[in-house]
Amino acid sequence: MKLENTIAQMKKGVLEMCILSILRQEGEAYPSDIIQRLKEADLIVVEGTLYPLLTRLKNYGLLDYHWKESSSGPPRKYFRITDQGMESLNTLTESWNQFVQGVNQSIKNQ
Amino acid sequence: MNKILHINVGGYPFSIDDTAFEKLDHYLISLKKHFERSEGCDEIMQDIETRIAEIFQERLAGRGIVSLSLVEQAINIMGSPEAFGAEWSAESSGGEKEHTTTSDWGIKTGKRLFRDPQDAKIAGVCAGVAHYFGIQEVVWVRLAFALGIFAGGFTIPLYIILWAATREASSPSDRLAMKGEPINVQNIARKVEEEIDKITDNFESWREERQNRKKKWRG
Repeated sequence: MKLENTIAQMKKGVLEMCILSILRQEGEAYPSDIIQRLKEADLIVVEGTLYPLLTRLKNYGLLDYHWKESSSGPPRKYFRITDQGMESLNTLTESWNQFVQGVNQSIKNQ
Repeated sequence: MNKILHINVGGYPFSIDDTAFEKLDHYLISLKKHFERSEGCDEIMQDIETRIAEIFQERLAGRGIVSLSLVEQAINIMGSPEAFGAEWSAESSGGEKEHTTTSDWGIKTGKRLFRDPQDAKIAGVCAGVAHYFGIQEVVWVRLAFALGIFAGGFTIPLYIILWAATREASSPSDRLAMKGEPINVQNIARKVEEEIDKITDNFESWREERQNRKKKWRG
């Protein structure tokens, strides 16, 4: 059994929640800022992984973005969490907490 | 010594080393392949290209030429599709296929003049000439030929001579030679894959149609 795959699946499951949560804390953020935070948390290694997730969350209406001029290059997309995103984040966080509790319980019992 | 190409990445012009261009082009094609089936493929590619443009601009600071090592740096930051494999697997939903937006308007040597049957109005001569000179839009060549008809009409015999003197680019290796891409196993395999994809798509839509019809009969 390939453990890396299992670990990757675990990370993948929580990435969307983490992105939403980062955006709630930051107000608005540029993908590179989000990447920085996710790298610190050891959740993502390369930037290419983030763009599909942002696009998907945006298409579901959980995020939106606006363009901002940049002094050093092309205009940048800044992402923000929507009200719908806030609701989803609350639901996700709640399930996550239950999940962690349940998982810890079952690990301890072994 | 290296050739320099002018390319457009995410809407920004860059001068790029020939070898660096090859690397970047292959990278973007492989990314596209990876994201092809995911929703919002165009937007993802656009975002990634814009980010690559930004990385280039940051490191070049307005001067110089994009080198192979800079392209490699950018690829390291963005990650290769193999690296995504572990982090992110493509979600299957009706993605759209689209052409790469990185365009190359540098003239490449070592090309051969063919007629391009896939982009032909009459015999594909103009399309072939456009490929040969690295002109992105065939319409300019057609316009030149059309204007020539009024300016003495010398383009009519020219067209006929070219028609007679060239042959159609019928095989994948012909098409590569026509577009000036090096003919190696990898590139031929890519062309063949593209062709097979086309055939499979056609077959799929035919099958779907047939199933729909069956349902109608039953319903």
